[in-house]
Amino acid sequence: MSKKICGYICKGCGIGDALNTAKLAKAAGEQGVKEFKEHDVLCSPEGVAMIQADVDAGYNALLIAACSSRVKTDEFAFGSQVLVERVSLREQVVWGLSEADEEDTLMAGEDYMRMGAIKLSKSEPPTPYQLEGEVAKAVLVVGGGVAGMNAALAAAKAGSQVILVEKEAQLGGFLGKMAKLGPQTPPYRALEDTKVDELVGKVSGLDQIKVYTGTTIDKTEGAPGNFTVSLSNGEQVRAGAIIQATGWLPYDPENLKDELAYGSNPNIVTNVQFEEKAKTGDLSGINAIAFVQCAGSRDQNHLPYCSAFCCLVSCKQAMYVKAANPEASVYVVYKDVRTPSQSEEVYREAQRQGVIFIRRDETYPSISGSGKLTLTTKDVLLNEQVDLEDLDMVVLATGMKPNNPKVVDAPLVAFGEDQEKAKQMTEEAKAQNEDWSILNLAYRQGPNLPTLKYAMPDSHFICFPYESRRTGIYTAGTVRRPMRVSQAQEDGVGAAMKAVQVIRAAEVGCAVHPRSGDETFPEFAMQRCTQCKRCTEECPFGAINEDDKANPLPNPTRCRRCGVCMGACPERIISFKNYSVDIVGSQIKSIEVPEEDEEKPRAVILVCENDALPVIDMAARMGKTWSPYFRFINVRCLGSVNLVWIADALSKGIDGVGLFGCRRGEDYQCHFIKGSEIANVRMSKISETLTRLALESDRIKVSEVGINEVETLMDILKSFQDTIDTVGPNPYKGF
Amino acid sequence: MDYQQDFAKEVYEKVDSGAEIKVCMQCGVCASTCPLREKMKYSPRKLWTLIRAGRRQEVLNCPDIMLCTSCYTCKVRCPRGIPVIDVMHGLAHYALEKGITPREETKKFGEAFWDSIYETGRVDEATVPIKYCLKDGMIAGLKKSLSMLDIGMALMKAKRLTPKLFIPPNFFIPGSHKIKGLKDLQKMLDKAKAMGARKEG
Repeated sequence: MSKKICGYICKGCGIGDALNTAKLAKAAGEQGVKEFKEHDVLCSPEGVAMIQADVDAGYNALLIAACSSRVKTDEFAFGSQVLVERVSLREQVVWGLSEADEEDTLMAGEDYMRMGAIKLSKSEPPTPYQLEGEVAKAVLVVGGGVAGMNAALAAAKAGSQVILVEKEAQLGGFLGKMAKLGPQTPPYRALEDTKVDELVGKVSGLDQIKVYTGTTIDKTEGAPGNFTVSLSNGEQVRAGAIIQATGWLPYDPENLKDELAYGSNPNIVTNVQFEEKAKTGDLSGINAIAFVQCAGSRDQNHLPYCSAFCCLVSCKQAMYVKAANPEASVYVVYKDVRTPSQSEEVYREAQRQGVIFIRRDETYPSISGSGKLTLTTKDVLLNEQVDLEDLDMVVLATGMKPNNPKVVDAPLVAFGEDQEKAKQMTEEAKAQNEDWSILNLAYRQGPNLPTLKYAMPDSHFICFPYESRRTGIYTAGTVRRPMRVSQAQEDGVGAAMKAVQVIRAAEVGCAVHPRSGDETFPEFAMQRCTQCKRCTEECPFGAINEDDKANPLPNPTRCRRCGVCMGACPERIISFKNYSVDIVGSQIKSIEVPEEDEEKPRAVILVCENDALPVIDMAARMGKTWSPYFRFINVRCLGSVNLVWIADALSKGIDGVGLFGCRRGEDYQCHFIKGSEIANVRMSKISETLTRLALESDRIKVSEVGINEVETLMDILKSFQDTIDTVGPNPYKGF
Repeated sequence: MDYQQDFAKEVYEKVDSGAEIKVCMQCGVCASTCPLREKMKYSPRKLWTLIRAGRRQEVLNCPDIMLCTSCYTCKVRCPRGIPVIDVMHGLAHYALEKGITPREETKKFGEAFWDSIYETGRVDEATVPIKYCLKDGMIAGLKKSLSMLDIGMALMKAKRLTPKLFIPPNFFIPGSHKIKGLKDLQKMLDKAKAMGARKEG
């Protein structure tokens, strides 16, 4: 299909006053956009109608020079087969450079026009990827507890077939083991029945849900829209998406033998054991009982985190005792009572019923006695040591561990270290991995979902709940993070919605979050591949498998379109239809670099579209300004930055290259998990090469900004400008 | 053995609004807002803990329970809605009822206040303090009132106090005249006292 290109320049929002539009059109003309139209308010119905008329007349590639690509997205969308390239004249030129002189502002405007025009000239409309054969539309739910059953019901309600696999002989999970449920309805004071039978009945009653009990998963192969799952009963099922709702494991109380005398007396039990007792036995014989909160939680030697449910459970269990014997003395020895949302009402109700809460410090209480128990603890509220005597029972409120093997990624920094050290660090990381699996993924990257630091298989702790780092596999419920029953119910529904989405995306051939709807996908020019394995190693989502000869085997439905593979490939054989090494390289080369004696330095800043670009837009909107010598180029992720772009920029005489992306490290905010981490490692390696070429390594700067950190961005821009002024002009200028 | 529940139950059942302190979560907002916190040995927060811990003597003998000036800040700010001042007054009454006087001055001042109302139907800035001072006897009372001279002068300057002639022991002074229908008021007060006694008993 031939491309018919037309450009549009908006004169609204002050663009027409600040810039000479004829000169802008001329600059874009140098890079292949010959036709241009102007409009006073391009985003107005009349402006959009003007563009639509051209689209109807056969134009299919539009250069829209107006505002940032992050605004007016609905107005300037003309279907997936019409390429639209946006030039951010308003934010990046008119607003951001409002303090610069006219000449510099115009030069910037012209450069942005050239960059937009060349990108548009080199882009092709996407052809969505289609899976071979029929797309599998069933949702596989692994785990038949609260989250799993709710996920199954939600997916079924949304019209999907569901396969529910449960390891135990019956559905229900921990809910089936509970005596009572915490309050679920206003005023959140009375304990309620678990109604587990009702829920199980609903699930087994639906024809759309096929339930396998007493079954585990032997092997999972494939990709979203086409998973083939072998079950332990020998059957094979096909699914389009997978929800792992495998729940939690109670923290092993044997680990608390020293601190809390577990095992020394049969009346020292955990909250899970006490719940069992409450379900099966009679509690009226208890006259005095103490609950010890944070037993092995929020403790660096045990579980370092708060499990967020034990306080609620202890309040609930205290109420069991009070219901059986209102005269019983019930004590809860706590560090902090953490009862978020409605469970605060449960805490209050327990207090009303006469449960006594005693605050302790970081040290564990000492528990002793062979028959009746004595508990001695520091009471911080009285500032005294207190004794609770004649206790019939002590309950240790232990926390939750995710029912999922811990998988520690090899630290990326290892790639930048010397080979011996890198090997050692990788070995150390591998040694921490747990050797069991739930899904048994037949992925080149290993059989398990990669986990965050506490073995919870989440991909991003703030922005993308349910998403694991394996596309199409979602986690829900307590395997994802510790939570209560009511939260697990919601979690199941949330994950089910994600699963339905990913199947639909596989059908259409587009990406899921964060580049939802993107129909491009990485294409490999395989004849030039050197089997270096970098793309398979570095893909944050395990999208690329390998054959025996180490050739990459991409799975486009697993792909999130971040372009990390494109940044990794030393042969530059990976490209997208509208985003490639060549396109960004050409954008950099289209920048006009003034001669050294003009004293107008130039710096290219590669801006991640996820966090850094919004900050730039926000800064412009807030009236911040920056140097007119910067040129911003949007990239999908810092991980997609190919080193050749740095070489392109420096050999062209550009004085500095900046990379602005999301936060990295343990609490990363990178939308593609390790993109900015990878960029950082790659840039650390490039500095050596620069020094060899007699170029200062300061010319390259990798920075992180949070999405709301305008001031940080301004500081970074300022200091980068100072650096460029200090190191002076690029010696390669004019070559 | 700590945290025996007998005293706590006694407070919950017998002290005015006593059961409300069950829901205290020990946040300390009452303590940090109390204008008299510095004068107190414990704060309301700690008093509630002591009650739960079963420290009968410490609580009922504590002058703090009679230091409350009823400014209501704690009651307004308590996130759990505990009527802190009601419980403080309740505890003070309960202590007196049990023959304990946690703070002698407050008791005397309260009596002077009550007497003034009962005898004249009014509370007068001049007469109540004098009555309070004279509870200690003639000589000590005069000494005490002289020690508070500066406060009296300041009050006078601010027109909060009108100087009067005081002739002890009978406070028949021009200006502090009785209200109309004093007998009826006294009947009401007697009745209220009897009702209170019945409730506590």
